[in-house]
Amino acid sequence: MLSMTFPVLIHGAMVCLLSPFFLGVIAKVKAFFSGKVGPSILQPYFDLAKLFRKKCVYSGTATWIFRAAPVVILAVMLVLSLMVPFGRFKAPVQFSGDILLAVSLLALSRFFMILAALDTGSSFEGMGASREAFFSCLSELALFMNFITLALLTKSISLSQMIGADIPMSWEGLEPAVFLVVASFFIVLLAENCRIPVDDPETHLELTMIHEVMILDHSGVDLAYMLYAAAMKLFIFSGILVSIIIPVRTGDPVMDMAIFLGGMTGLSVLVGIVESSMARLRLNRVRLLLLVSFALAFFGLIVTLWRA
Amino acid sequence: MTSWIDVSCILAVFLALTILATNRIVGMIKIFALQSFLLSLVPLFLHADAISGRDILLSGGTMVLKAVLVPTILFWAIRHISMRSEIKPIIGLGTSILCGAALIAVAFWVSLSLRLPGKLLSSLVLPCSLATMLLGFMTMVTRTRAITQVLGYLVIENGIFLFAISLYDAMPVLIEMGILLDIFVAVFIMAIVLNHINEEFERTRGSASRAKWGESS
Amino acid sequence: MEKILLGSWAVPFGEFSFKLDPLSLVFLIAITTLILCAGVYGFGYMRPYRGKKPLGMHAFFYLILALALVLIVTANNVILFLGAWEVMTLSTFFLIIFNDEKSPVRKAGFIYLIASHCATFFLFLMFFLMAHAAGSMDFDVMARSDFSPALAGTIFLLSLIGFGVKAGFLPTHIWLPYAHPEAPSHISAVLSGIVIKMGIYGICRVLWIMRVLPNWCGYVLLMIGVLSGIMGVLYALGQHELKKLLAYHSIENIGIIALGLGAGLLGRSHQVPFLAVLGFGGGLLHVLNHALFKGLLFLGAGSVIQKTHSGEMDHLGGLAKTLPVTSVLFMVGALSICGLPLFNGFIGEFIIYFGLFQGLLGLPLHGVIFCSLGILSLALMGALALACFSKVYGTIFLGKPRTGLKGSSHASLKEAGDLSGKSTAQESACREETSKWMLIPMMVLAGLCVWIGLVPRTVTGFTFFGGAYLAHVDLSTIPLEQVLMPLTMVIRMAFLFLALILGLIMIRRLLLGKAPMPIRETWSCGFAQVSSRFQYTSASFARLIVELMKNALLLRRHGGQVAGVFPGKTQLSSSVHDASEEMIFGPGLAFLNDFSKKLGHSRIRYTQIYLMYILLFLIFLLVWKLK
Repeated sequence: MLSMTFPVLIHGAMVCLLSPFFLGVIAKVKAFFSGKVGPSILQPYFDLAKLFRKKCVYSGTATWIFRAAPVVILAVMLVLSLMVPFGRFKAPVQFSGDILLAVSLLALSRFFMILAALDTGSSFEGMGASREAFFSCLSELALFMNFITLALLTKSISLSQMIGADIPMSWEGLEPAVFLVVASFFIVLLAENCRIPVDDPETHLELTMIHEVMILDHSGVDLAYMLYAAAMKLFIFSGILVSIIIPVRTGDPVMDMAIFLGGMTGLSVLVGIVESSMARLRLNRVRLLLLVSFALAFFGLIVTLWRA
Repeated sequence: MTSWIDVSCILAVFLALTILATNRIVGMIKIFALQSFLLSLVPLFLHADAISGRDILLSGGTMVLKAVLVPTILFWAIRHISMRSEIKPIIGLGTSILCGAALIAVAFWVSLSLRLPGKLLSSLVLPCSLATMLLGFMTMVTRTRAITQVLGYLVIENGIFLFAISLYDAMPVLIEMGILLDIFVAVFIMAIVLNHINEEFERTRGSASRAKWGESS
Repeated sequence: MEKILLGSWAVPFGEFSFKLDPLSLVFLIAITTLILCAGVYGFGYMRPYRGKKPLGMHAFFYLILALALVLIVTANNVILFLGAWEVMTLSTFFLIIFNDEKSPVRKAGFIYLIASHCATFFLFLMFFLMAHAAGSMDFDVMARSDFSPALAGTIFLLSLIGFGVKAGFLPTHIWLPYAHPEAPSHISAVLSGIVIKMGIYGICRVLWIMRVLPNWCGYVLLMIGVLSGIMGVLYALGQHELKKLLAYHSIENIGIIALGLGAGLLGRSHQVPFLAVLGFGGGLLHVLNHALFKGLLFLGAGSVIQKTHSGEMDHLGGLAKTLPVTSVLFMVGALSICGLPLFNGFIGEFIIYFGLFQGLLGLPLHGVIFCSLGILSLALMGALALACFSKVYGTIFLGKPRTGLKGSSHASLKEAGDLSGKSTAQESACREETSKWMLIPMMVLAGLCVWIGLVPRTVTGFTFFGGAYLAHVDLSTIPLEQVLMPLTMVIRMAFLFLALILGLIMIRRLLLGKAPMPIRETWSCGFAQVSSRFQYTSASFARLIVELMKNALLLRRHGGQVAGVFPGKTQLSSSVHDASEEMIFGPGLAFLNDFSKKLGHSRIRYTQIYLMYILLFLIFLLVWKLK
């Protein structure tokens, strides 16, 4: 038990400390593309610190669910971060079938977020809740399709074994299906973390938002929890993607960690570039994007079955 | 390298699926150009260890014809008839994406029982080229504008090209060049014909039945 | 596995023989728990009817139903089984039509009765085929005999139809959405939690008796599970009325159970015993889980309907403030049914998923395709169920009340319970929580849901035992540790999760300080004077998903046309119609109706027809026996 607490703490600390940094990287890239200097890379840290100092204001219509939702969502992200491998470092918690727990925990956080939105009795938040419920159906389909392909490729159903900590993947023995899985997963990452082209994290217009509109009424410490959870979710998804893409293992922990963080920064820059070069899709086009992601993953599955 | 051929096969199918899923003509033409560019590199991958002049000629020729000239002609045709870029497909885009995925599955399933003489460098070539052809067919079937049907036909040609190039090493260059010329001429004629159709429509614009530009009968 | 022979019976071929085996154990646990809880609830629910309606008869049929259910799962003889099945059908019919002064209730009851009897015809056929091939009416003897593949396939199909109607498989499920809303709430809970499962029990019993089934049977069962599950939850998303939505949701859960059983059957046919045990075990565990959380949800719905006299979700809202305990218990039910961690639904679905992934890695190509289809449809069902229940919970319990419904007795609204107009008593009753007779069974069920979710070892024992019994494998040869170890890790993660929640709450309290937080109006971008009618209704919440599948769901919109420069009041409503009812059974039954009317108009008088029948039968007997 004692040998497990150390990696758990390291993992958790890394996620907590580093996740707002990548949000800052994305914001900086977007500012660069618009020709501005932009906020400093550490701005999300300052925002969070400011929010932690403020008090919360609650709506009269809201019930205990509204107060419970930020706590549940942040706790889910913290538990999830323990199950995700970072590059060469295996997740401190891994067991066969942990992908099922991961997806269910995400669903739990989504459930509470939707209920907290409906709790305020405002139609704007209801709008975001309805859209979130819809898009999650499609993105879960694509996600599970990816998991099926990876399970067939690696013959295991544990997240760490599927994505890089153990697979001897290198650029020579590249499995073509992995390309498709990576492409599909990237689209799911954009959708789940509410980046353009699925959702705009910058504007606060209700007609264009999914995630932003659901947290309209949260304030103070609750809002800090929500933003932190969003940053952690991005970190977790990026971590999974980077672990698939960068299969290099040099054996030196410091070097591996540096490679992983470099990969994460690169991925954040890529997300920033995608955000700056595309416009947000119309909402009925978003479902097409998710369907394309599903079709890509399906294609990956077919190629895997064909090779086998 | 074997794996690069695999990658290009898969990317060809991926791009064909993206053409099926897009509803903007400009985007479709650009994706087609990218697909042709990728496929024109395949002869170089095939003989990566011993690249001959023939390969470079074939590659370059395909690239110039299919990745540069044909898209230019298509862009010119679009600009000339000044059509709106919005396309309404017959079945919804979501359904056509799912049908496309199903067609890919069908292509792979059919390839299981197709036994070919000769040795293929990569087992993915046959199913992927078949899938590209089927996706091109699907594009032709589900769209209403003539330009997009031309694009569907071109995607089919890309699929055939991928298959032919990878299968027979000993195929004379002349035949390949002939095929390419065929395509070039076909597109040229199509562009002209479209032009005429649209000129006809322009003259009859004032009449009661407001026909949509660029639509084939 | 004792067989208790209670002596012979005067009925030909019948014998009073019972047997308790691991399969019936799972069902018995579900039956006893739910019947007990629903009974206590019913006692409180029916209190307002005292003196006005014959409650004693209702209680009589309830107890007969309990007896019939226990008889069904322990019967070891065909005639006993069929007799108990009939008693169950009849007693449920009388329980459903409790409010029989209303014609929708009578119609629902008749549809239920007719559907059940049509199905029982197939059951008779199937059992007689089995008994003829085995030479005895005893289940044990039948289990020991061999059946030819063609006969086995036919029996399997007949059982799917016969038991499938009762279970609520997709094309034949049409009685469910009628019967559940019209019955009193505790009867709906028993219907949905137990009576439907008797169909599943029948299929399990047939699967146990036929030890060797052709391979395609597993695929068929899996596909039925996929179809029922997805269409069930899509129909549920389109409903406005609470109990009808829960009824369609039961169809989805039956789909999940069929999926698990199909996977188990695949494992049994392809000789992958781990998959077989996991699939069957997961399906049986879901039987138990569903009885618990669906019972809880229906009982909660009953409380809501009793307080507000309406099941229309779009008229409700904000009930979490007036019914705080009920809302928490309903939340437990909703979390369980969506398969979210910490609750029992997750454990059952985890086992089924695990089995399907094992099938993915171990089966040949066909099996891989069907297993991936199973996994994808489970994922889709989970996401759609999440959407559905967030819609239900959000519309009923959260937000502001959409109409001034509570405390008033609007005669124009759909009344699920007939409380006559003592308005002042109602108004005071509506301010308070439901009575404790109704709350305590709900708390027991919710407690069981949480208990199974956090300590699954208590149930995995007997469910895997039952699964192995169904799969005809020896449990000791199965590496059960492969699935129990992950479950233990899941529970550890669950406790870590709870600890983190507590920690974060304490941090928040520390940061915010002791003073109470200010309470204001909802901000929502500074919109002032928002009426409660602006809130998202259940139809608008589900609109995105329902409109995606509007052809399959037969979505119809009525009204909504706004005309003129100063338009007056308009109304917009949308409804989802059941395709199998409108396209298969409706026209089919109408055709049968016309045909029989035409037959009835024939000119020949009745006596001659009967004489002709007797003559024909006499000739037939002579020819058959003398040749």
